[in-house]
Amino acid sequence: MRAPRALVVPAALIRTSLSAAIQYRSDFVFEGLTGLLRTAATAATLGLVYWHRTEVAGWTLPEALLVMALFLVMSSLVEAVLEPNLGAVVEAIRNGSLDLLLMKPADAQLLVSASRVAPARLWDAVAGLALGGWAVAQLPTAPAPVDWVVAAVLFACGMVAIYGLWLLAICTSFWFVRVDNLRFLLISVSDAGRWPLAVFSDWVRVVLVVVVPVGVVTSFPAMALRGTWSPTVALVAIGVAVAFAVGSRIAWLRALAAYTSASS
Amino acid sequence: MTEAIADLGRAMRAAPALFRVAFADVVAYRAEMAIWVLSATMPLIMLAMWNAVAAEGPVAGFGQTEIARYFAATLVVRQLTGAWILWQLNYLIRHGGLSPLLLRPMSPLLYEAASMLSAMPFRIVILMPFLGLLVAWRPELWATPSLPSLALFAVSVSLAWMLSFLVQALFGMASFWLDQSLGLFGVWFAAWGLFSGYVAPTALFPEGVQPVLYWLPFRGMLGLPVEILGGFLDWRAALPEVGIQLGWVVVIGVIVRYTWKRGVIRYGAHGA
Repeated sequence: MRAPRALVVPAALIRTSLSAAIQYRSDFVFEGLTGLLRTAATAATLGLVYWHRTEVAGWTLPEALLVMALFLVMSSLVEAVLEPNLGAVVEAIRNGSLDLLLMKPADAQLLVSASRVAPARLWDAVAGLALGGWAVAQLPTAPAPVDWVVAAVLFACGMVAIYGLWLLAICTSFWFVRVDNLRFLLISVSDAGRWPLAVFSDWVRVVLVVVVPVGVVTSFPAMALRGTWSPTVALVAIGVAVAFAVGSRIAWLRALAAYTSASS
Repeated sequence: MTEAIADLGRAMRAAPALFRVAFADVVAYRAEMAIWVLSATMPLIMLAMWNAVAAEGPVAGFGQTEIARYFAATLVVRQLTGAWILWQLNYLIRHGGLSPLLLRPMSPLLYEAASMLSAMPFRIVILMPFLGLLVAWRPELWATPSLPSLALFAVSVSLAWMLSFLVQALFGMASFWLDQSLGLFGVWFAAWGLFSGYVAPTALFPEGVQPVLYWLPFRGMLGLPVEILGGFLDWRAALPEVGIQLGWVVVIGVIVRYTWKRGVIRYGAHGA
């Protein structure tokens, strides 16, 4: 029996992009070492903050560390999966090689979103998970199973929303040619996700949930694990995820309709 | 040495034309440049965090006003010390674009330096509305520096730019020998972020660590001019530190010059 088509294409994409990336083995080891040092520097910043206080905006060190761990996992996934593709699409639109991709018998959005991965970037996720595990162990009360489930759902919702945001950025390159820098802007604004939402002022908090939804990926699951989530939080997360998924899909279809290839 | 002076002399004569060309380049890619400037959001993110910390009372003399002023100054100095020679060199060396530049009668490094400096006015113009908003929101942020302070700031921020440029050039030149120069710079950048005053004023570090930070090159790349501009450091007290800054510029400048010569020989040996 043949596997359904919906699974064959993503599996093939992952296989080919992995085998392309695996050619650079020394890069993989090197990235691991440098990633470790970068993680240490990031965690040290938090150490410095909590050297002065035991609690900031109602968050203790382990709780804030949890947010930072989730941030590391998120940014690692973004850099491994989303960022290489954005660069590739922008280039393909500019020189017209997107034509070839559009002729393939699979959904172009899927091809565009998953044709490249940088597995070496996943080291930060490993470091993030280790850091997060340690932080959870330091919490005064261990999270209940339901908290874990909620945290996982919230994280997934946030990642869907982040993916939508990146796809929207890709869509803009159909109209504006040089948007390579947009990825630096996205990454640097996402940096705000490394702190708990509580440290920001009200309107910044709204922006970090609804416009650049990093708060949904990092702070929301951390709230679940420390047991301070509410049904409202879950609803907001699901709403944001759906809005970004649908909105970016519509934008993508419109962008494709407006695509005129490089030669015409 | 005489060769270096001759090189510099040629650069001075070519400077007006260089700046014109480079400025036209900046204007052509103005949207890209604007996005680039807006990407430097880290000081604002750190401002939010330290602002929450100082909400319960000042830390090491930094109340909420001082924190806001410090990171506003960081935003400015970060723009004034911006360089991207690392990525430029890395690209030129890998793709062979360095070859035509080497034929010019002046060092490609000086040419790139001129191009980066000419983007500076544009960066300041983009930054202005944000600073205006910040001061309108919190007028107490504004601290007019004294004239000597302002003069010393000009010296210190120039040295800071030179340091950033030279360090980036050094890591960029690593591409003559290595494939992973960008990754290496990532480690340097992480250390820089922590120790330069980018994520926290030096005064907020544990007291045992602070003296070390004064002697490392990182502070001279950001924190020192920030503290002079923000009025955290009197100009008399800042003078010895500007001396340390100058020392680092000379040391790294000599290393850059030596490495560049070796690197260009190596590049030629590849037949590129």
